[in-house]
Amino acid sequence: MVKFKLAEVIIVDVREKLRILSDAAKYDVSCSSSGSGRKNKNGIGNASISGICHSWSDDGRCISLLKILMTNCCMYDCAYCINRVSNDTKRAAFTPDEIADLTINFYRRNYIEGLFLSSAVFRTPDYTMELMIKAVKKLRGEYRFNGYIHVKVIPGADRKLIWQIGLLADRVSCNIELPTSESLMLLAPQKKKEDIVKPMGFIKNTITQIGEERAVYRNAPGFVPAGQTTQLIVGATPERDVSILRLSENLYNTFKMKRVYYSGYVPVVSHPNLPSVIKTPPLLREHRLYQADWLLRFYGFKANEILDEAYPDLDMELDPKTTWALRNIQLFPIEINRADYAMLIRVPGIGIKSANRILAARRASAVDYALLKKIGVVLKRAKYFITCRGKYYGEGAFNPDSIRFRLMPNSKDTDLEQLNIFSLIR
Amino acid sequence: MLIYLYDGSFDGILTCIFDAYYKRHPDRILSRDDVQLSIGDEYDFIETDEKKASRVYDAVLKKISNEAQKNAFYVYLSEDRNSGTIIYNYFKLGFKLGKNLDLNIKDEDVFKVQEIARRVSFEVHRFTGLLRFSELNNGIYYAKIEPDNNIIMLLAPHFKDRFKDQRWVIHDTKRNIAALYNLKDFIITDSLSDIPLSLSSREEFFQSMWKEYFKSISIEERINPRLQKNHMPIRYWKNLMEKSL
Repeated sequence: MVKFKLAEVIIVDVREKLRILSDAAKYDVSCSSSGSGRKNKNGIGNASISGICHSWSDDGRCISLLKILMTNCCMYDCAYCINRVSNDTKRAAFTPDEIADLTINFYRRNYIEGLFLSSAVFRTPDYTMELMIKAVKKLRGEYRFNGYIHVKVIPGADRKLIWQIGLLADRVSCNIELPTSESLMLLAPQKKKEDIVKPMGFIKNTITQIGEERAVYRNAPGFVPAGQTTQLIVGATPERDVSILRLSENLYNTFKMKRVYYSGYVPVVSHPNLPSVIKTPPLLREHRLYQADWLLRFYGFKANEILDEAYPDLDMELDPKTTWALRNIQLFPIEINRADYAMLIRVPGIGIKSANRILAARRASAVDYALLKKIGVVLKRAKYFITCRGKYYGEGAFNPDSIRFRLMPNSKDTDLEQLNIFSLIR
Repeated sequence: MLIYLYDGSFDGILTCIFDAYYKRHPDRILSRDDVQLSIGDEYDFIETDEKKASRVYDAVLKKISNEAQKNAFYVYLSEDRNSGTIIYNYFKLGFKLGKNLDLNIKDEDVFKVQEIARRVSFEVHRFTGLLRFSELNNGIYYAKIEPDNNIIMLLAPHFKDRFKDQRWVIHDTKRNIAALYNLKDFIITDSLSDIPLSLSSREEFFQSMWKEYFKSISIEERINPRLQKNHMPIRYWKNLMEKSL
């Protein structure tokens, strides 16, 4: 194993540091600044429950937080990671003071919603976490900063440190990185599954416990008000979509995750254990996983309804809700003026917003087909699965094959969908 | 066609609506600034009257809903040429239907009002992010914006909450009005003489750091200008230092 020598690699120029340490942080896809309602208590900054995007970078992803590593000097050697110890790359480290100063000055200019602080594992997990806590403490204490802070938990760090950071941050996350422990063994041999899963359990339990305390003592301190999230890399290892989706369902249920992020593998380094053929990240697959994830979180679906052993992978040509509807065609068509909310949102082309607007409009008068369009229902898809005041508007025969054929995207539509991949991620 | 003309203020529209009920129902309510008189039409210039306006205001709150009042105000801020007429038709239906007015999205005016109001509040949300302050050498943070809608009074409360401890100016250069905050309250004013715009000594450094960050956070394999423009339309770029290169 090649080890870098710290003395000769540390970059001093602060602009160069920013370049290196934000470049190294950008593969963490989360940029969300939502979920926290932290108020401005005689200082600077507050959080916005729905989150605020401040800019969009050239890849079309939203910029909400100053997403940055404390340092990219790492003692680990994870094959998929640009910062692994054996990779020949420039190394840099920020001091806690520099992080706090940069954050506050970006914030005052309204460039950002807050800070997303992550780090490579420098010396030990505990030492790294202590540096991060120092930066965040300075922001919350000295600068009286009440803006959004998301901190990455370093696997293997002491519970006490996780407790400390949880009291300061709005959100924390520990990345599960890879879908199975076998893959983890193969690509990230120094990270153990327990090191990742244990903090998740601890964070979940603490949130529950503190929530109970706060119900009694309103002024008890808050613990990660915006909850915890995690991320896994898709396409670096051979797992099927069904095991990824089951894993996500599990993470939502067991650890009350606010989000599971999927990061289409970008080949940043070459390694014998990694696929070498992919030149571009599997963006469409990633997009389909996000769609399926949405179905789990907002549309009342179970992972087993979307995929199972017979259908282990998501359909690349059609979205997962449409695929589900075609496999369950006996449930359709449903009447727009009678169906309940749970069924309305299961119709391809009807989202949460349009379902709510249909219900509202129904209170005033019967909903006709023209109104559905105005409401924002995607009739191109929905018309095959609904009747409106008794009339069916789909063309062709009412069977899965015929409908599937009509819904198949032509090449132009696929491009459009590709373009909108990140519109879902917030 | 009978056309009521108002002075361009929201109270002006409400006064027209008051008179519509106590005098004659007009076909249109237009701002006198953007109307071209034509021979076939009859015009009545309505003098803005605060008392009449507040009676309409109260009636809307009592007989229709807070939401309807808010929607109408947002339509006014959109500066749509027809906003007077749209609000009038919307309230007219509202006085008939009461608090359920907004369920009637089948009605064209209701639909239009909601659509415009949504557009305005979306732009407010956008500008809570797409606004950049520069630190001036007198310690004031100054931001220039050119929004589609007249949203400065909706934006100011957000920035007052957030930047309680910093003096700031938000300047809408399209309408030449500004919100000024002095650590206690903000005011909206259109009497802006000369705001001296010399930047603080550190300002350039942080702007260049921000541009550096903006560049390096983007993932090259995923470059997608169309998606970027969807979220951040080009018309807003002028006042965003990360884009105005």
